[in-house]
Amino acid sequence: MRGREVPVETRHQFREELLRIEEAALEGLDMVVHALELTTTALDGQDARHASLVIGGDDRIDDRYLEVHESILSLIAREAPVATDLRTVAAILHTIRHVERMGDQCVNICKLIPLAGNEPPVHTAILGRIDEMSQRLRLQILDAKRCFSERNLALADVVARSDAQINRLNREIFQIALEVGNDFDTREWAMHMMLVARCLERIGDNAVDICEQVAFVVTGKFREFSDASHPNIGRSSGDAPWRGV
Amino acid sequence: MNTRPAKPQETIFVTTPESIPERGTLSPPTAPGTGDQTAGYAAPSEAPNGLGVELQDLHAHYGQQHAVRGVSLTFASNKVTAIIGPSGCGKSTLLRCINRMHEEIAGATATGRVLLDGRDVYEQGLDVVSVRRAIGMVFQKPNPFPTMSIFDNVAAGLRLTGTKGVDLRERVERSLVGAGLWDEVKDRLGSAGAGLSGGQQQRLCIARTIAVEPDVILMDEPCSALDPIATLRIEELIDVLKARYTIVIVTHNMQQAGRVADSTAFMLSGELIEVGPTSQIFTKPDDDRTEQYVSGRFG
Repeated sequence: MRGREVPVETRHQFREELLRIEEAALEGLDMVVHALELTTTALDGQDARHASLVIGGDDRIDDRYLEVHESILSLIAREAPVATDLRTVAAILHTIRHVERMGDQCVNICKLIPLAGNEPPVHTAILGRIDEMSQRLRLQILDAKRCFSERNLALADVVARSDAQINRLNREIFQIALEVGNDFDTREWAMHMMLVARCLERIGDNAVDICEQVAFVVTGKFREFSDASHPNIGRSSGDAPWRGV
Repeated sequence: MNTRPAKPQETIFVTTPESIPERGTLSPPTAPGTGDQTAGYAAPSEAPNGLGVELQDLHAHYGQQHAVRGVSLTFASNKVTAIIGPSGCGKSTLLRCINRMHEEIAGATATGRVLLDGRDVYEQGLDVVSVRRAIGMVFQKPNPFPTMSIFDNVAAGLRLTGTKGVDLRERVERSLVGAGLWDEVKDRLGSAGAGLSGGQQQRLCIARTIAVEPDVILMDEPCSALDPIATLRIEELIDVLKARYTIVIVTHNMQQAGRVADSTAFMLSGELIEVGPTSQIFTKPDDDRTEQYVSGRFG
């Protein structure tokens, strides 16, 4: 046995690099929030100009995706992260993919706006719900970001509960669109709003998925908070979604 | 790889002087070089190729220094177990207790039990040479006998434990094949072992170890003196050897532990902190100190 050495803190550069990549990925969520705000404005005013800003601006989100992806691959190749670092690396890769998908959903919505017509019918029951979805989503994305950066699973619970409301609003919009009446223009507009609601609902799912990744980083076990094919397995209604993890 | 001799079907008694002890056999003391004179012990017939090793409350001291502190740990047969930990954590000492090499150091003592297939290698009256035949060791630095030929290096252990009834040439060839060295040296078996490259020398040492047909191979940082390609060759060899031997490897290279080991044990300050499947140790260790070490937060 050799002389015992005093343990020293090591791998500072690796840890700083991992933190920088994590921050870059989470900044992607800020970009999504910005895109969502522009999307909401475009929807409110049926505003093709704001819609084109979102469509054009999506390249920035795509660039961020590529940048984070490449940085993570480089880090894995050079530093061989393990344990919590490895789980963090995997979670960042998933998260930046969700960021890219969220950006794409904003683009999908904005591409629908010109199709819905410049002076569409105003149906407050639908528009009000679209607005509520957008507002909830904005907070949900910011909470998902904080959930990740603070490793705060209580916020995962908040996001999952909010997402249940988003899913409810989506279903309500579907129902209202079905019953919107016989006017062709109104029906066409309502069908487009149904697609918009579907895109927003998917963005909400992406936010929940990011929180699932945080639960994986913290607990070491991955489990979906809710499973579309088995919605009631493994949880009682009062449980925090990550408790089953 | 060549096939081994058939395993004994029942408990047998080694009575023939100068015979090669069967695998799984620990013998009472004998005069060096004379082979067994009395009854020995053989593995039960259901034993797999390699034999498991169990440490029970193992303590090791160097004088007053308490280097291994009450470690209980099982090394499963035909598996590779890596022991990792910072310098001075007691992992090499622990390894050397398993085949009783620790006691060769002046002032060094060990207590507790080291069970090879259920039998304590520290049992009073047990021949330490038979322990080391059953539990071979490969060291950090390749250490072929410098004045011996390649052939004699491999045959050295056999000659020490007795060669009667053994086709020496066949056993040397089989050992060199087993160590993945045969094709590189078959035309120069008479040349000096010291003339080989570092990686070849280490494989020569592995051939020397397996020539006496041990049940367990201990490896103390076997690749730390080798270049990356030679290292990978040894790692591939370890993966092949585990089909026939139980392997315990001490390594400072955590990626090596990740590549070769089925289980990984983490030691700190003489204590066993955690042992588990290697993938678990490197993705979600239970103990925060393991997490800190494997992720390089201290070293």
